[in-house]
Amino acid sequence: MSVSSVASPACWNCGAPPGGGHFCIGCGKIQPLAAADGYFAFFGLPEKLDLDAADLDRRYLALSWKLHPDNFVRAEEFERNLSLDRSSVLNDAYRVLRDPVSRAEYLLARHGVRKEGQTKQQAPPELLEEVFELNESLEELRAARLSGDAAESAALGKRLEAAGRNFQAKLAEVDAELAAAFREWDAALDRSAGEDERARLMARMNEILNRRSYIRNLVAGVTHELDGAPDA
Amino acid sequence: MAYSDKVIDHYNNPRNVGSMPKDDPKVGTGMVGAPECGDVMRLQIRVNPETQVIEDAKFKTFGCGSAIASSSLATEWVKGRTVEDALHIKNTDIVRELSLPPVKIHCSVLAEDAIKAAIGDWKRKQGADEAQASAATASAKE
Ligand code: FES
Repeated sequence: MSVSSVASPACWNCGAPPGGGHFCIGCGKIQPLAAADGYFAFFGLPEKLDLDAADLDRRYLALSWKLHPDNFVRAEEFERNLSLDRSSVLNDAYRVLRDPVSRAEYLLARHGVRKEGQTKQQAPPELLEEVFELNESLEELRAARLSGDAAESAALGKRLEAAGRNFQAKLAEVDAELAAAFREWDAALDRSAGEDERARLMARMNEILNRRSYIRNLVAGVTHELDGAPDA
Repeated sequence: MAYSDKVIDHYNNPRNVGSMPKDDPKVGTGMVGAPECGDVMRLQIRVNPETQVIEDAKFKTFGCGSAIASSSLATEWVKGRTVEDALHIKNTDIVRELSLPPVKIHCSVLAEDAIKAAIGDWKRKQGADEAQASAATASAKE
């Protein structure tokens, strides 16, 4: 996939087509951000998900050095501001793309698959049921601790530990599913798969991410409760 | 983020927390979750079969303050309404009543979904019952 098929506006300095990068290919001046550029394009990457973390780190370091405002102390204010803009986007982009989950969420949001407040897709009912029950056990454990009932706390703690291990295993499963979906997505891009197939793959990733979200919350809740326990 | 007074009130004094027997034919149970945050909510209604009026409602929510307030408010609102009427409760009504900020809209969506799910569950039970009952009443009536 190319960075952008839309012709970028002429370079503000030399008037030549700047080539869509951070700097004009003609005169080398820093360019304003284009609204359509996403985080992947910012790093010169295709929208692939199974990305090489070391490669991303290298690109990040190279760019942060090139875009750094320190390089523009003697430049016009206009250019200095461009460097500030690009540096701040660089940091956002890096933070989002470095983590596989936020990377996938970003891709889906960019393609309108995942919207705040509009996720109508529900997790499987059995999972919700399990999530609910475990939350109830957590609550019981807290209450038992509060009332100083040591025997009850210990028994509940044991049960929670087992449940926690179970959910930890589920989280690992979901992460493996997500990684597999990433590879499928990348393969689909490689063979320029059509809209339908991409939409289907994105819907699947969305479903996996939803499930993961419940499980991760629970693992965090259980870990917090068991670690924070003085007598567990 | 500052919660509105109404949210804080529902959060500190949640109305109708609890549960009802799931297998009771008059009870509908809605179990929903918000994938954005992983929070879960259970809302239950007890319906009078003659009048179709929701006579009681209970909820239990593991989630943020807005989700607890939204579901607490939802149980208050559904009580005394007919099932059909309760279906008209919109998350936007909840947002308005509780002055929820945009980032908390999904919490109110959860409450609307929970009402719908509870009613759906109750209707399913009625359907199943009616099928049995109509066979029985058909012969019993006149
Ligand atoms: S943040 Fe999850 S329901 Fe409000």
